[in-house]
Amino acid sequence: MSDREAEDKKLQTGQTQRSQQSSGFGINTAIGKQLKAYYDDVASEPVPDRFLSLLDALDEAETASKKNDRE
Amino acid sequence: MSAQFDFRKELITIIPNLRAFATSLTGSFDRADDLVQETLVKAWDKQHTFQPGTNMKAWLFTILRNEFYTQMRKKGREVQDVDGIHAMQLAGHPEQQGHLDLQDFRKALEMLPDDQREALILIGASGFSYEEAAEICKCAVGTIKSRVSRARTRIAEILGVEGDGDYGPDSISSQIIGVAPAA
Repeated sequence: MSDREAEDKKLQTGQTQRSQQSSGFGINTAIGKQLKAYYDDVASEPVPDRFLSLLDALDEAETASKKNDRE
Repeated sequence: MSAQFDFRKELITIIPNLRAFATSLTGSFDRADDLVQETLVKAWDKQHTFQPGTNMKAWLFTILRNEFYTQMRKKGREVQDVDGIHAMQLAGHPEQQGHLDLQDFRKALEMLPDDQREALILIGASGFSYEEAAEICKCAVGTIKSRVSRARTRIAEILGVEGDGDYGPDSISSQIIGVAPAA
């Protein structure tokens, strides 16, 4: 596993829940809790591989075009 | 090169939030991920316009939201799913089974006007401030506040939640009267 892959794995499974503090919204109310549950249901899933592949492809395309510019 | 790598890394940490927001906008997991994909491509293309040190999450949410409404305008009303289809697609998601409360809540959310639903999500779930949400939605802070307030009231009515914390039936009705339409 390359460094980047290892890094991605960490990002995929890791600290996506940084913003636990709610901004002026009654998080402890019934609606506030359900809203978080609804959102986190998706937001707590690992990042699908298709997006990592996409970013790799974008990265490669960019590197390739820069190389072409130089040549 | 290292700046490039950081952008990618930051982008990845925000993808889970983008997916959740996109799901609330589209009402479909498949369409949400297509929207996130388009957002990532757009963001990558215009990464030079992002100013490091500013709020990248808000920047990405703005791109995603613009992309969503651009698509809506292009496709016209055809993208507005019939309620039943909407709900069925959501029910088909493997993670969703056994969450009866969540299903009810989801349906209630679906019944809100788009602008109220997005305001509620941005403030109540995505963790944005009213100021940030106003910037994302390109409207006044007061408009966001009144949308959130109306959304909460409506959800409470639909779910029959009495006394959502400090919300009793009385305070709900006084809120309806108290909320002036955004100028």
